[in-house]
Amino acid sequence: MTDCVGDAKLEVKQASKEFKESENVAEKYSAMTATKNSDVNMNVGELSAAFTAVPTHKSMKKQIQFANQEEKQEFSKFPTKTGRRSLSRSISQSSTDSYSSAASYTDSSDDETSPREKSQLNSKGSSDFCVKNIKQAEFGRREIEIAEQDMSALISLRKRAQGEKPLAGAKVVGCTHITAQTAVLIETLVALGAQCRWTACNIYSTQNEVAAALAESGVSVFAWKGESEDDFWWCIDRCVNMEGWQANMILDDGGDLTHWVYKKYPSVFKKIRGIVEESVTGVHRLYQLSKAGKLCVPAMNVNDSVTKQKFDNLYCCRESILDGLKRTTDVMFGGKQVVVCGYGEVGKGCCSALKALGAIVCVTEIDPICALQACMDGFRVVKLNEVVRQMDMVITCTGNKNVVTREHLDRMKNGCIVCNMGHSNTEIDVASLRTPELTWERVRSQVDHVIWPDGKRVILLAEGRLLNLSCSTVPSFVLSITATTQALALIELYNAPEGRYKQDVYLLPKKMDEYVASLHLPNFDAHLTELSDEQAKYMGLNKNGPFKPNYYRY
Amino acid sequence: MSVQAVAAKMAEVELKDVAGKDSLPAISPLTPKAEEKKSENNSTSSPAAAAAAGEPSPMTAAPNPVKMPQASAMKRPDQQQNGGEAFVNCDGTVAEAPRMKKIQFADQKQEFNKRPTKIGRRSLSRSISQSSTDSYSSAASYTDSSDDETSPRDKQQKNSKGNGDFCIKNIKQADFGRREIEIAEQEMPALMALRKRAQGEKPLAGAKIVGCTHITAQTAVLMETLSALGAQCRWAACNIYSTQNEVAAALAEGGFSVFAWKGESEDDFWWCIDRCVNVEGWQPNMILDDGGDLTHWIYKKYPNMFKKIKGIVEESVTGVHRLYQLSKAGKLCVPAMNVNDSVTKQKFDNLYCCRESILDGLKRTTDVMFGGKQVVICGYGEVGKGCCAALKAMGSIVYVTEIDPICALQACMDGFRLVKLTEVIRQVDIVITCTGNKNVVVREYMDRMKNGCIVCNMGHSNTEIDVASLRTPELTWERVRSQVDHVIWPDGKRIVLLAEGRLLNLSCSTVPTFVLSITATTQALALIELYNAPEGRYKQDVYLLPKKMDEYVASLHLPTFDAHLTELSDEQAKYLGLNKNGPFKPNYYRY
Repeated sequence: MTDCVGDAKLEVKQASKEFKESENVAEKYSAMTATKNSDVNMNVGELSAAFTAVPTHKSMKKQIQFANQEEKQEFSKFPTKTGRRSLSRSISQSSTDSYSSAASYTDSSDDETSPREKSQLNSKGSSDFCVKNIKQAEFGRREIEIAEQDMSALISLRKRAQGEKPLAGAKVVGCTHITAQTAVLIETLVALGAQCRWTACNIYSTQNEVAAALAESGVSVFAWKGESEDDFWWCIDRCVNMEGWQANMILDDGGDLTHWVYKKYPSVFKKIRGIVEESVTGVHRLYQLSKAGKLCVPAMNVNDSVTKQKFDNLYCCRESILDGLKRTTDVMFGGKQVVVCGYGEVGKGCCSALKALGAIVCVTEIDPICALQACMDGFRVVKLNEVVRQMDMVITCTGNKNVVTREHLDRMKNGCIVCNMGHSNTEIDVASLRTPELTWERVRSQVDHVIWPDGKRVILLAEGRLLNLSCSTVPSFVLSITATTQALALIELYNAPEGRYKQDVYLLPKKMDEYVASLHLPNFDAHLTELSDEQAKYMGLNKNGPFKPNYYRY
Repeated sequence: MSVQAVAAKMAEVELKDVAGKDSLPAISPLTPKAEEKKSENNSTSSPAAAAAAGEPSPMTAAPNPVKMPQASAMKRPDQQQNGGEAFVNCDGTVAEAPRMKKIQFADQKQEFNKRPTKIGRRSLSRSISQSSTDSYSSAASYTDSSDDETSPRDKQQKNSKGNGDFCIKNIKQADFGRREIEIAEQEMPALMALRKRAQGEKPLAGAKIVGCTHITAQTAVLMETLSALGAQCRWAACNIYSTQNEVAAALAEGGFSVFAWKGESEDDFWWCIDRCVNVEGWQPNMILDDGGDLTHWIYKKYPNMFKKIKGIVEESVTGVHRLYQLSKAGKLCVPAMNVNDSVTKQKFDNLYCCRESILDGLKRTTDVMFGGKQVVICGYGEVGKGCCAALKAMGSIVYVTEIDPICALQACMDGFRLVKLTEVIRQVDIVITCTGNKNVVVREYMDRMKNGCIVCNMGHSNTEIDVASLRTPELTWERVRSQVDHVIWPDGKRIVLLAEGRLLNLSCSTVPTFVLSITATTQALALIELYNAPEGRYKQDVYLLPKKMDEYVASLHLPTFDAHLTELSDEQAKYLGLNKNGPFKPNYYRY
C-alpha cells in the first residue's frame, strides 16, 4: 500500500507537469490507484468529460446531480436504475421469449397486497425484513445455489478468509440489485463476519424468491419486484433506520443509499468506515460530493478496476453480441457484412467475435488511435454512409448519440439488422422511425420490422436499447468479478489502519485488483507462475505483486 | 528496436570485413575495446563469450529492466526508484556490450556507459535496408566495399555546392543514398503528408535543430521533413555502427551538416557530436536526441547553450531515463519531451511489431512450420499478446506462462492455456520468452526439453534464457546458420537456440519502415509542439506528448490503410462533451 502511495505521488508529480490544461485531472485520476483524488476537485467539468468519453459509461445527461442538490433531475431515479448496471438481473432471464422460472414465480403471484402491508415471519421467527412472499424461499435458495457454481471466486474467498473473519463487527448496509449473484455476495459477507441489511437499487430488478431466501436465512432484506417510487425510499429507510443497529459500512450501486443516509441521517456517517460504490453514476456523485468537500468518509470506486472494466466491456460484449443476435434473429454470421460503429472496448469485443465467425467486419471510429488499432487488427475503417447500403448488420457501440440516423436507415438494404451495444438508447435515432409512412411490425419480443413504403424492411432489435441487456444474458462469471471486487473493497476499507484512507474517493489498490483476477484463475485451471526471489529482485518487484505500474495499459 | 537486429548483424559483418585491417578485436564486435577492460575474461571469439563475460558485471544485470517489455506503457517515473541503471534497459543486443564498457562520466554511476545506448533498442532505424539476415542489403555493401581506409576526419570533401561543413565516409555515394531515401519516403507517408500540410506555414522556421540519432534512410526522411518545415539541422549518429554511409552522403550533398560514418571509434563518436554542436555563428535551439548522449555532451561541455534551447525531444528509453534523473536532480534547465511512451509508438514497437516479427524471425532462422506445433510463451504483456495472436492464427497450440494474475486472466479469456513452464516443458516444440525477467528458461528446463525444441527470446534483454548454463563441457554447440545454434546433449538430443538468447526480432528479423515512420512522425510533431508552445506552457521538466499529438500521429498514418475516420457532428460532440478535433479519450484510457 505504501508503495502504491509512493508511486502515486510520483505519478502525480508527473501528471502535474503535463499539460496543465484539461489533461491533468484524468491523468491523475488514472494514476491514482488508491490515492486520494483530491485533485479531482480541480475541475469537475473535465472529470465528467473524462467519464463520458469512455463509450461504455452511462450518459452524463442522466447523471443524477448530487452535490448541488435541489431537485432538477436529482430524483429522476429511473435512469440510474435501468442503466447498464442492471446487468445483474439478466442471469435469471435465460431468454427473451421464455421468461425464466425466477421471473415467473414472481409474475404469477396472485397476491396483490403490497408487501409493506403484510406481516411475515421467517422460520426463525424474525420479521425484520420485507419481501414479496417468504414462502418462495426454497426456490430462491435453489437459484442461489446455481449462482454459487459460477462464482467460485467468492466461495473460495469465503474459505480463505473464513478463519480470520476479516469483517467481524462490520455492519454493512447495502443497496444493489437483489439477484442470486448478489445473494452469494451477501452470504459471503455474512460468512466473513459481517451483519448485513439490504435493499434494492432498482425497482424492477429484484428476484423475489432470492429476496425471500435471504430473509429466510436471517438477512434483513427490504425489496420486491415492482416497487413504487415511494416504496423504494421506504425500503432504503427501513434498511438504515433501525434502532440499536448502526451501519459502519455502505455498499452502494447508484448512490441512492449514500444520498439517503447523507440527507436523512448525517450522523450515521460518524460511525461509517467507508463506502464502496460500484456504478459509474454513483462514482460520479461521490466525486461531486468530494469536490464540494462534503464527503466525510473514505469511498472506494470499484467501477474502474481493470478486471471489472475488461469483463464488463470487452469479454462480456464479445460473447453477448453473438448471443443477442442469434436469439433475436437466428442470423448466420459467415460472410455477412457487418459494420461496427466505435472501436473502444465494446467495439473490440464485437469485432473479434464477428470476425471469428467469418463475418466481413468494418469499423467506424472518430478517434484516430482507436482507428489505427482497428486497421492493425485487420478491419477496414470506413464512414458509415460509405458502406451503409451494402451492410447486412449495423451495430453501434460509441456511447454517442444519433450515430445511425434516419438518413442511414433510409439507405439500408432490405433485411438489414440494426442494433445497439452502447450504453444508452441514443445511438440509433429510433424516434425518427416513428413516422406515418413507416409500418412497424413486432415479429418477436424485442424484434421489430420497420417497413418502408416500397416494402423494404429494417430489423430493429430491442428498439435501440442495449442489446446484451435486452436480448442476452450476463454471465455469472462477469458478475462474480464485480461481486468479488466489492467484497475485497469492503474488507480493505474495513481493515485499513486508521489514516490510510482519508475522506476521499479511492480506486481499488492494484494489488486487490490482481487478487480478484487470481481468485478467478482456478476456473480456467490456470497455473500462475511465481517469481523466484532472484527474479523478483531483478525485476524490483514484490513476489506477491503488484506487478505492474499504475499506468500500465493491459 | 528493429535496428538492433541490424546492430547485431552488422556486428558480424564488421567482424569479417574489418577484422583484418582494423584494430577491432575479434571478440564481440559490439564492444571493440572490450578486451582491454575485461582481460580477465577468456577469449572465446564469439559474441557468446561476450555475453558470458557480461555476467560478472553485476551492475548491469541487477537493474530492473523489468519493465522493458512493457516499457511501452510507462512513464518513467517509476524508474527513478532504481537508481542509475538506465542502460540496462536497452536490450538484448546490447546487453552484451554494455557491461564491459562503461564510460563513467557524470556523477551517475552507470549512467553514461554509452555503448548500450548505441546498440540498444532504439537502433531501430537501420533495418529497412537489410532485407534479410543472410544477404546483406545493398546499402551495407556500398559501405563495406569501400576500399578507402582514410578516416573521414582526415579527408577534405565538398559537396557539389562547394560546402564542406560535414564529415562522412564518401560524398560520392550520395546518389545511392538518395535512392535509399526515396525508397524510404514511399513507406513513410505520414511524414510526407506532414511536409505537405505544414509546409505553407513553416512551423519550424527559425528552428536550429541539432540531432543525434541513427542515420538511416528513415532518419533522412525525417531530417528533410524538418528542413522542409523551415528548420536548420546539424546531425550526428547515436550509434557507431548504425550509420548508412551513402545516406549520410546524400544528406551532406543535400546541404545538411552531417557528421557520421559507419564504424566510428569512441573518440570519433564524441568528435562528431562536438562538431555538430560547436560551430561558430550557429547555436542550436532544439535538440533531438536518441539515447541522451548529445544532451549529455552539451550539458557537460556547453552548458550555457541551454539558455537558447527551447526544448529537448528524446526518443529512447535510456535517454528518457537520463532526463528523468536530471530532472529529479533539479538539473534539467529546459523542457524535454518524452516521445517514447506515446500510445501509438508503444503499441507499434511492441504489440504490432512483435506480432509480425515472431513468425518472420522463426521462419528465417529455422524454416519451422507452425501449424499444430505446441508453443509456450512466457509472459503475456504487449509482446506476449502479439506473439500469441500470431502463433494462434497460424494454427499453433499456444500455452502461456505469467506471473501477473490480471494478465493471466486476459490470457485465459483469449483462449490460451495458462500453465507453469515446468508442466509443459517436456512436450512443447517452441519456447518463446518475453517477460523482461531473468532466468526464465534455466538449464533444468532445457535438460528436459524434447529433441528439436526451439528456444528463443523476444524480451528486451538476453537474460531470459540462461545461455551461460549451456556452456558446459558435456554439451556440444554447433552453429548451423547465422544466429542458429544446435546445442547437443550427450545422448544426442539437440535443442535449437536462436540468436544465443538475444532479442530474436532484432537479430533475425527486420523492423518495418511503417513502425519507424510512427516514431519519426512523433518526433517531428514533438519538435513542432515544443518549438511553437507559448512561453510558459512547458516548464523545465519532462513531458509526455500531448494526447492530441498522439492522435494526430495516428491520424497521419490512417491514409496508408485507406481508412476513413468519422467526424463528430457538433451535436454529437456536445453530447459527449468533447472537442470535435480531440482529444477523444481521457488520459487514463487503456486502449
